[in-house]
Amino acid sequence: MATSSVEPRDGADAEAENAQASRWTAPESSPLTVAAHDLRVRYNVNRTDHSRKRGLIGLTPRTQRVSVGAVRGVSFEARSGEFIGIIGRNGSGKSTLLRVLAGLEAPNSGTVLTSAKPVLLGVSAALLPDLTGAQNVRLGALAMGLSPQQADDIFEDVVELSALGDAIDLPMRTYSSGMGARLKFAISLAADPEILMIDEALSTGDASFMERSRRAMDDLLERAGTVFLVNHAAQTIENMCSRAIWMERGHVVLDGDAVEVARKYRWFAHNLAQGNTSVANGLLMDARREGRDAQERDAQEDLTGFHRGQRTTTHPRRAPRHIRRGKDPGSNRADSAEAKTSNNLHDPSGP
Amino acid sequence: MRTDVRTAPQLRRDLERRGLDVSALGPVGVRPSLPKYISDLWERRHFIWMDSRHRITLQNSRNRLGNLWLILRPLFDAAMYFVIFGMILKADRGIDNFTAYIIIGVLMFRSTMQSLSQSPGTLRVGKPMIRAFSFPRAALPISAQLRESMQMVLTVVVMLAMIVVLPNHEIPRLSWLLVIPIFLMQCMLNLGVSLLMSRVGFILPDVSQVITVLSRVLMYGSGVIFPIDNYLTHPVAGAIIQANPIYQLLHMYRRVLMDGTAPTVASWVILAVWCVGILIIGFVFFWRGEATYGDEQR
Repeated sequence: MATSSVEPRDGADAEAENAQASRWTAPESSPLTVAAHDLRVRYNVNRTDHSRKRGLIGLTPRTQRVSVGAVRGVSFEARSGEFIGIIGRNGSGKSTLLRVLAGLEAPNSGTVLTSAKPVLLGVSAALLPDLTGAQNVRLGALAMGLSPQQADDIFEDVVELSALGDAIDLPMRTYSSGMGARLKFAISLAADPEILMIDEALSTGDASFMERSRRAMDDLLERAGTVFLVNHAAQTIENMCSRAIWMERGHVVLDGDAVEVARKYRWFAHNLAQGNTSVANGLLMDARREGRDAQERDAQEDLTGFHRGQRTTTHPRRAPRHIRRGKDPGSNRADSAEAKTSNNLHDPSGP
Repeated sequence: MRTDVRTAPQLRRDLERRGLDVSALGPVGVRPSLPKYISDLWERRHFIWMDSRHRITLQNSRNRLGNLWLILRPLFDAAMYFVIFGMILKADRGIDNFTAYIIIGVLMFRSTMQSLSQSPGTLRVGKPMIRAFSFPRAALPISAQLRESMQMVLTVVVMLAMIVVLPNHEIPRLSWLLVIPIFLMQCMLNLGVSLLMSRVGFILPDVSQVITVLSRVLMYGSGVIFPIDNYLTHPVAGAIIQANPIYQLLHMYRRVLMDGTAPTVASWVILAVWCVGILIIGFVFFWRGEATYGDEQR
């Protein structure tokens, strides 16, 4: 292994314990809510060479139509009660994947099945900027199919969760990006979605809002919802999610326990940032191999009919976490100790 | 590895084979059946109503006079045509009340043109809403059209007031009541056009460039500012003009308001066929593209 020479640090251990205390733990078995098979998305875009070629060739058009693969064959299943983080570098296809899962964009090939219409919360959607926050709350509630009566009923909850106070009566164009994100998050949660997808939207919120939004999402998960969270800060995923999917150039590199995957990703990103490209590539290859092996193991079990009929979880290879957040740290410790013995598990941001 | 899966039922079977519970799963991002789509739209009626009301107030909110402009604009338009054609040029082109003729023509023609020119951008403008919430996308063009129709009611009122006030004064008659059904048919026509053009403009944004030319053609082919009845004797041109719904529309308004007589049966039939036809075609055409409206426009 490329990184076996680096010793794990003790500090990482203590930090992991802290993080574990507030991390969401998925129930052992629950019904499927999202199933995606071999999703592929390509964009046809204009590409223009930024440099002019010399000689006669320089006179030929520099712009051509090229096909760019954003998502290249992603398959996975998600269950209710799972809090799934999607990590990866910029441009790895995370946001595109969410848009396809939410049904906002049609994939070029592949199939998505969901148990309910997912609600996607993105950073860009500004709603109607000239309307006040309060008007946007009502309009959004009606757009989601609530009756005017229901829209009135949820109004107070939304305002409270967004914590906008008097600003709720100001036009939304006067809001900061964090305030806008808070309001949108509150509106999205108001309809009590079964599947919630959050695309970086929470990263603009401040610390107190992070805590409130985390509680709101826990409630949603308690009610057997499924939450997807896209964030390029692996720390957030590690602290909050029960499962993580690492994406790189449109492929799934690794899909599994949030702490394991997020740490591998962070170690990879850390090496990349330090300029250790070859180490990073080695890590990526290792992770990819591991991901593939796990998938094949799954397929094997499927073929042999392992636990057929009673299994509802898609990840039998992973030790189930029976405990809810912070109730049984002992068992969590055992888990993370076990994780540490597996290769290249280091915390680049440790003390 | 897993079997080759191409469609939703295959994926369903594949998951079932692996012992997973798929009973709750359904495909996402596909267009619902037409009856379901219509009932979904009906459920969103409050949203459509609120959206169009807000947008009316918004579009004038940056002006000092605000919503007063909804009345002032047609008022100024009508006054301008009166000054140019009635006072300066003193043109009559063989028509008793040319001022009324031209005010009716311009103000009523413009509302249909608004639908034609604004609808290609409806889905682009509504993108934040499309991205944020899932609702039948036809709600957007319908709400835009509802707003247009509400403004048009004011325009009609201004128009009626102006042709009474300005010389040669038209006297309100019982036949003026027929303006209501004609107006409703025009709203239907506008809605059909905007549903149709919303999707056309989504697929091919370039159409908005062609529409300026098209509206010019329609303006001359519908008798908006000068009578084209003389051409009706020409066999081909006559047939085309007769079949033009906007020509029929303006013709009917003028008959009712200026001549005080009911439009002919032929006029009613031609206009009705257009209204219903365009509305059905536009709605079905829009519905067929329902799954695509969230796509990134490239």
